[in-house]
Amino acid sequence: MLRFLFRRSLGAVAILLIISAVTFFLFYAIPRNPALLACGKVCTPDQLAIVERNLGIDKPVPVQYWEYMIGIFAGRDFAAGPCPAPCLGFSFADNRPVLDTILDRLPTTVSLTLGGAVVFLFLGLGLGMLAAWRRGTLLDKVMSSTSLVLSSMQIYFLGPLALALFVYQTQLLPQPQYVPLTEDPLGWFKGLLLPWLVLSTIFTANYTRMARATLIEQLQEEHVRTARAKGMSRPTVFFRYAWRGSLIPIVTIIGIDMGSLFGGAMVTEYTFALPGLGRLAVESVTKSNLPMLMGVMLFAALMIVLFNIVVDAAYALIDPRVRLS
Amino acid sequence: MTITTRRRTLSGRGTRAASLALAGALLLGACSSGGGGGGDTPGGGDRDTAPETLQTIEFADAAGSTGPAEEVPGARSGGTIRVLQETSPDHLDPAQIYVAHEMTIARLLHRGLTTTRLHNDGSYSVVGDLATDAGTVSDEGRTWTYTLKDDIYFNDGSPITSADIRHTFERQFAEFITQGPTFIQSWLADAEGAAYRELLPDGPYEGDHLPDSVLETPDEKTIVFHFAQPQNDLPYALTLPGYFAVSREGDTKENYDQDPLTSGPYQIEDFRPGRSMTLTRNEHWVPGTDAARNAYPDRYEITFGHSQDDSTGRLTADNGDNQYAISFNNGIDAGSAEVVQDPAVQERMVSGYQVFVASLVINQDTVTDKRVREAIAHAIPLNGVLNAYGGAIGGAYAGGFISPLLPGYEHDYDPYGKLALPQGDTERARQLLEEADAVGYELNYLHHVAPEDQQAAVAIADALETAGFSVNRSEVPTEQYYDTIGQVDNGYDIYRSNWGHDWLSAATVIPAQYDGRTIQDGASNYSHINQDYINEEIDRILLLSDADEAATAWFELQKRILEEDLPAVPLFYYKQNILHGSRIGGAVFNNDFSTVDMHRLYVIQD
Amino acid sequence: MSYLSVRDLRVHFGTEDGVVKAVDGLSFDLERGRTLGIVGESGSGKSVANQAVLGLHNPRTTTIAGGIELDGQQLIGAGERQLQRLRGNKAAMIFQDPLTALSPYYTIGRQIAEPYRKHRGAGKREARERAIEMLGKVGIPNPRQRVDDYPHQFSGGMRQRAMIAMALVCDPDLLIADEPTTALDVTVQAQILDLLRDLQQEFGSAIILITHDLGVVSQVSDDVLVMYAGRAVERGTVREVLRRPQHPYTWGLLGSMPRLTGDTERELLPIPGSPPSLLHPPAGCPFAPRCAHRDAVDPPERCTEERPALPDGRGAACHLDAGQRRTLFDVHVRPRLEGQPR
Repeated sequence: MLRFLFRRSLGAVAILLIISAVTFFLFYAIPRNPALLACGKVCTPDQLAIVERNLGIDKPVPVQYWEYMIGIFAGRDFAAGPCPAPCLGFSFADNRPVLDTILDRLPTTVSLTLGGAVVFLFLGLGLGMLAAWRRGTLLDKVMSSTSLVLSSMQIYFLGPLALALFVYQTQLLPQPQYVPLTEDPLGWFKGLLLPWLVLSTIFTANYTRMARATLIEQLQEEHVRTARAKGMSRPTVFFRYAWRGSLIPIVTIIGIDMGSLFGGAMVTEYTFALPGLGRLAVESVTKSNLPMLMGVMLFAALMIVLFNIVVDAAYALIDPRVRLS
Repeated sequence: MTITTRRRTLSGRGTRAASLALAGALLLGACSSGGGGGGDTPGGGDRDTAPETLQTIEFADAAGSTGPAEEVPGARSGGTIRVLQETSPDHLDPAQIYVAHEMTIARLLHRGLTTTRLHNDGSYSVVGDLATDAGTVSDEGRTWTYTLKDDIYFNDGSPITSADIRHTFERQFAEFITQGPTFIQSWLADAEGAAYRELLPDGPYEGDHLPDSVLETPDEKTIVFHFAQPQNDLPYALTLPGYFAVSREGDTKENYDQDPLTSGPYQIEDFRPGRSMTLTRNEHWVPGTDAARNAYPDRYEITFGHSQDDSTGRLTADNGDNQYAISFNNGIDAGSAEVVQDPAVQERMVSGYQVFVASLVINQDTVTDKRVREAIAHAIPLNGVLNAYGGAIGGAYAGGFISPLLPGYEHDYDPYGKLALPQGDTERARQLLEEADAVGYELNYLHHVAPEDQQAAVAIADALETAGFSVNRSEVPTEQYYDTIGQVDNGYDIYRSNWGHDWLSAATVIPAQYDGRTIQDGASNYSHINQDYINEEIDRILLLSDADEAATAWFELQKRILEEDLPAVPLFYYKQNILHGSRIGGAVFNNDFSTVDMHRLYVIQD
Repeated sequence: MSYLSVRDLRVHFGTEDGVVKAVDGLSFDLERGRTLGIVGESGSGKSVANQAVLGLHNPRTTTIAGGIELDGQQLIGAGERQLQRLRGNKAAMIFQDPLTALSPYYTIGRQIAEPYRKHRGAGKREARERAIEMLGKVGIPNPRQRVDDYPHQFSGGMRQRAMIAMALVCDPDLLIADEPTTALDVTVQAQILDLLRDLQQEFGSAIILITHDLGVVSQVSDDVLVMYAGRAVERGTVREVLRRPQHPYTWGLLGSMPRLTGDTERELLPIPGSPPSLLHPPAGCPFAPRCAHRDAVDPPERCTEERPALPDGRGAACHLDAGQRRTLFDVHVRPRLEGQPR
């Protein structure tokens, strides 16, 4: 397991290096000058040169990239102060340390996506199990057709609808907002409840269908029949044998969905006015804020890479054949 | 997302040239004091919402500048106001502030030598803020003297002295200050463009200071500005948040931008960039020294990241905490135009003009035939353009370049019959083209990628084609747009531009856009017009000390430019519509701030 | 009363296309200590019938009628709990492919111990000891080490031994072995069959051996039941059925099967045609469409109209009379089976 983690960590570092280089050079691939947005009213060439020097973008792009990488591993000194490793630089927009801003926004995105994931996995897998357990019954059929409709919904449609219906009109649910978990757990929960539910409405359906399908497939497996032939009770057969076998495809999809969930966080965050990394990414692009964009990209990549490691580790936990080979 | 791009049209310009966004100060007839409504309904193309005549605002004397501020009828102190903002301020250092959403917050935090007050009767004046009056002028406008009030402090308890004010202006010359206004620096240095920096290249940080011949602080209370040219607008310029006071002792250079001392009624209790900001009372602010700020609420809880959709949704719903909410800068989304027709919602809306005037610039270097330019003016459909920007709720048709907020504005001025025929007159345009023997004239049209600008471009290009032009459209990313058209040799014939005045004088409109001597890369004379009569007239009017006379002269000059040379076709005046919750009182539109007057707001308590 | 008595068993599956009559009137008896070989092509209903004995079919989609009595206890209509107490305890089952029939996610030891804990209420340690003991009994070397292995770490033969250990862990009186050697190579096949025989002697269980391979039957069975299209078509002792098969289908089976002894070069003759649809089985003899001798029946329509009955004891379900069958076998079938040139 340690060797596995070590190997994967090396791979992750390589991926992050590649992503950082690609982001950095792509940023400059289209002609743009971040200094233009920080140049004030009288943007004469002299003034522009001052701003470029302030931002540190007067140097050649490869040199900038080199200094950026040095900053990550060894730290750098800026006019605004020292920036210890891992230094992601200072924001072009507000001259604050990029790392601080990202760490400040990260909990929102993580709460939104992971919290949402917990809800929709719980609901989706639970309902999927129920449908598989009661396969062919009316309940199963109603759930299957409902999930098909719901999974075709989009957050930018469902989100405002739910807001209007449950918050503005009936006031059944609290206004979405982000309150740090550490400050007020109940407020955190209430503030994220509606976004979670909306995310869940969309994703639950997928997991219901998938859990049902893989469970039904697993229930046909011979080893499941063997378990029954041994006299195991239905719940034992269902959960210990069939469910265990369903986990691999489900975990695979979760791994993929977490990536798209992070990617889709932008839309969710805009819809519910939640200040997360998705918004930060968009703001960074529109403001040509290279250090922030780099930071967000690296963090997003890191999260996805970490998640992949978790997924692979989960494979090994679930399936001894993966573990030992 | 419509919303963000929509706003970017302004704030994209806003971050740079266009954030010249200060407002003129004039009264809108409908401005009333007291809670609830006020303001006119969003009439859009309905020009009747624009006032008939405008009076210049007066400079207040010591009596008019003495606090406390006139009470808002019915107002009570206390409570918390929630502010739903889209964009989090990137800058807190006053010297870096020039963008509308940063200025609105800065007005609660900081004070300058002067500021603008909207009175209960709807009139405005420039009052002494930290200074005892709006300023004492001598030497035909070349010398301005200010005396500081007693009992003025930063929020760390240190008194504000003339040394702080000197420092405030000296640090404007340092290279790390790049975003704020540059008027006063340029006046002090008597220099164009960025050349003012040569007067004090390192700011005050290396031991150098401005000579007494430029800025004089003979004692702890007195500041004297010496200009080479008469600067009759100085009291207005000093109302810009970019010139609000910075503490000499508390200055941390670059880092002041993150954590400044404040001199206004509030201080920053907590700021999480991009998320939230909490303002609490500055205990060292003495109401008796402040003629402009009522500062009724105990607290402001500002949250960021609210799209116009989101804030409009919350404020129209008026549920829960949203009853105590307002936005300083989010307008109403065009998609919500129907919702706000609801009388109950309209009661909670204040409306007025933004500082921006939209126009279609015609490059004088390439389109040299006046008849061709006239044909362009006649062909353009103002209604198609305004529809792209939200129609009636987004703006009102423009007859000239000078905003309805500015003194001297003439309501019926319409030299090309555009107000009478907002759909355009392609027949007349074709006639003119035929007269000029220019049917099939090729026009290179540049616009940017924001959906509204694309939609407007289609409407304009269609009409021009109908009139007999051949139009080639190109587009660039929004953030590069103004840099592209700012190149003297930009290669395009027509392009849209928004211009906003910095204060209530056309002195911040005409010279910047039509003085031919300023033409250079990065400057804002986008049409490259260079006529002696304009240049000479600009020099003359700038020296006028009578504000009313100057206002009339600017408007007359504008007429001549528009009628004789036509360097741009006026399109529309941007409007602003601000919603607030039902527990917010005192909401009225302030023309100088071109949004709701935050100083008059109060919480309606149980 | 026999230990296991199956009477007129019908197993019907409801599908979208109609009712599949997988087993349609099957009867047989089995005593303790004896081995019954059930032979037939795939789809003949032999596995379905035996899964019905353990009640493994989904009651929502399956209709089961007739009677199954195990040790005097009626199993048809029995509750799930009663069946659970029976499965793996009194009656156990082993399957064709031990790789897929064992769960890949749990150790061999745990899978063996599981039914012992459930049925005997044994503790964890006790059950583990029992699993090791059973692994030893089925001939796994170093059972104490291998008990913690996962199925994929075992070879095919060892997996089937483990499967057998699992089936026998509670000393069942009835063991149903469903094609236990089909997935294994020939040398391992023989070992597994030997193991089954040895264990039967030790435990005295009744064994049902389901196979399509008469060769396997000949090695371990006492009695044989030949199934075709959901019914038994011939019954007898191994010796009787293999020496003097009475049903034309049995003749076909014998002809289509390689011999391990004698003339191994003999040409294999598959039975022409394919088994009838179980959705719409023919009214008469289900084998009639493929039967080479149906013209010998008088009148020939009997085969397509009347369903032949299987007599109790030794016999075949065929409209040919005993004399005809004897003659046909001696003249046409036996020479071919014994590989004499035509």
